[in-house]
Amino acid sequence: MFSKIMIANRGEIALRILRAARELGIKTVVAHSEADVESLPVLLADEAVCVGPASAAGSYLNIPNLLSAAIITGAEAIHPGYGFLAENSRFAAMCSDHNLVFVGPTPDNMQALGDKASARELAQKAGVPVVPGSGIVDDLSDAALAATEIGYPVLIKASAGGGGRGMRAVRSEAELASAFAQAREEAKAAFGRPDVYLEKLIERPKHVEVQVLGDGQRVVHLFERDCSLQRRHQKLLEEAPSGVSEKVRQELLQSAIKLCREVGYVSAGTLEFLVAPSGEFYFIEMNTRIQVEHPITELITGVDLVQEQFRIASGEPLRYRQDQITLRGHALEVRVNAEDPEHGFRPTVGKVETLLWPGGPGIRIDSHLYADYVVPSHYDSLLGKIVAWAENRPAAIERMLRALAETAIDAPGMKTTVPFARKILADPRFRAGEAHTNFLNELEPSFFGGGL
Amino acid sequence: MILNPKELKAILQAMSESGAFELSLETPDFKLSVRRGGTVNSESAPIFAAAPAPAEVSPAPAIEVSPAPAIGEKENPYAGCLEVKSPIVGTFYRSPSPEAPAYAAEGDRIRTGQVLCIIEAMKLMNEIEAEFDGIVRKVLADNAEPVEYGQPLFLIEPEHVL
Repeated sequence: MFSKIMIANRGEIALRILRAARELGIKTVVAHSEADVESLPVLLADEAVCVGPASAAGSYLNIPNLLSAAIITGAEAIHPGYGFLAENSRFAAMCSDHNLVFVGPTPDNMQALGDKASARELAQKAGVPVVPGSGIVDDLSDAALAATEIGYPVLIKASAGGGGRGMRAVRSEAELASAFAQAREEAKAAFGRPDVYLEKLIERPKHVEVQVLGDGQRVVHLFERDCSLQRRHQKLLEEAPSGVSEKVRQELLQSAIKLCREVGYVSAGTLEFLVAPSGEFYFIEMNTRIQVEHPITELITGVDLVQEQFRIASGEPLRYRQDQITLRGHALEVRVNAEDPEHGFRPTVGKVETLLWPGGPGIRIDSHLYADYVVPSHYDSLLGKIVAWAENRPAAIERMLRALAETAIDAPGMKTTVPFARKILADPRFRAGEAHTNFLNELEPSFFGGGL
Repeated sequence: MILNPKELKAILQAMSESGAFELSLETPDFKLSVRRGGTVNSESAPIFAAAPAPAEVSPAPAIEVSPAPAIGEKENPYAGCLEVKSPIVGTFYRSPSPEAPAYAAEGDRIRTGQVLCIIEAMKLMNEIEAEFDGIVRKVLADNAEPVEYGQPLFLIEPEHVL
């Protein structure tokens, strides 16, 4: 095992990694920006090195300064957390060029599975379903042919696209001609090119992701999470396990294992799938890093994913056989963001004056906040995560509601997503397990305004 | 009026936000000129013949200077000095080799563009150059010690202020 590691991240995940290292008897160095000098991970670290100014480009993304910081402090490994350099295969390769262990997958793993196009190809080869799609279709007859092959409903998407522009849902061939023409016009206006392609429209899917751990030789899964509650692809609330049928679950888990075996995956990773109401599922992408929502998996399996990352990175073989990983109970995570749901979730900042996190049975808090801490405006808005575990889903929801009601974060000018999470948890549709990836977008506007 | 480090930081931040590159400020008590950006002191000379391959160093940012923080209320021997801060993370060397004399010793008069020290980062020797004329009043970092980004290295009394 390592004797000293460096954490190249900030906020709650830097603290999470520091805690894992400390319990393993590893000394910690926290690399930080000038804006984070008084952050909790820096205050708790054995050593801290300032690597640049507040802007992430000059600090948390500054590869030469980060590598130098690890070298001058004698750290043997760098844990990148999530975001920043966590999925940068060049950084991982440079770590090894400097005899530093990158705590995560190999650069080859990242290129094969972290890149969307290459992962899709790999999945198709391995027989794992991907969202059916066409290449660029130039005229209506090609489009009609492709749509028939994919099967209605289909989505027309601009190949240069993004932001919903040049996008049209088509439910039958009768709608195709006008939607095709409109999408091309819109694509041309928005992106300068009229090129569009077709993709199967999966309506009201659930976002289900499988957690894996590998050591290059063996891979195990740690069941799955449902992260359907998203706003602009930002997850707000996650739970584990998902509500899919046992048959679908087993198929998902086996698909994930198969893909990871193909590349000899090392460390923790997550494979994301869309699951249609019919139970059909499609692989979308892999996140080759520890994820924000990893604690819910830790609570239902009892495995400390970050500690396992360190063990694997130090060269130890995987400590678990698949049959030693069992699922118990249900866990929910609420992301506490410094955002104002009443105003389009715009970010807010402030100085924390009063802070009371919930406690009691089954509650875990991962947060870098403390009273008097000033939330900096340079980084993402995640203040912390409230995680609740209970024997089953209804009990976990009640426990989370109880915990959120206890939570007091008082920072003048700052709003959090806690009241919004309470509304979601109280919503009968959510409680019935009906949430899907478009759930928050379809909510009535009144849901976002006013207090609880 | 003496600027405290907080005020100076605010000025630097305001400059950075406004996109300004140069600022000159003159009061009866002092004169301050700050320049940011650019690619000064990015000269780096590999010294290890067999340096492991793709070591890569981005151009070091411009040195940041700020007035020395006041130590006591009266007779601060470094009043009027500016701090020269490390623009990168690395190991601080005062001379090109252990036998050679220091680039800049206390009392030395230095000129703009003159090398003050070397900071080794990722097997590359980065020469840190003076950005103004002045007299070295204090060397703040120890030879061969690691330094972090923004760490004060020298207190230099600018000559044009005298």
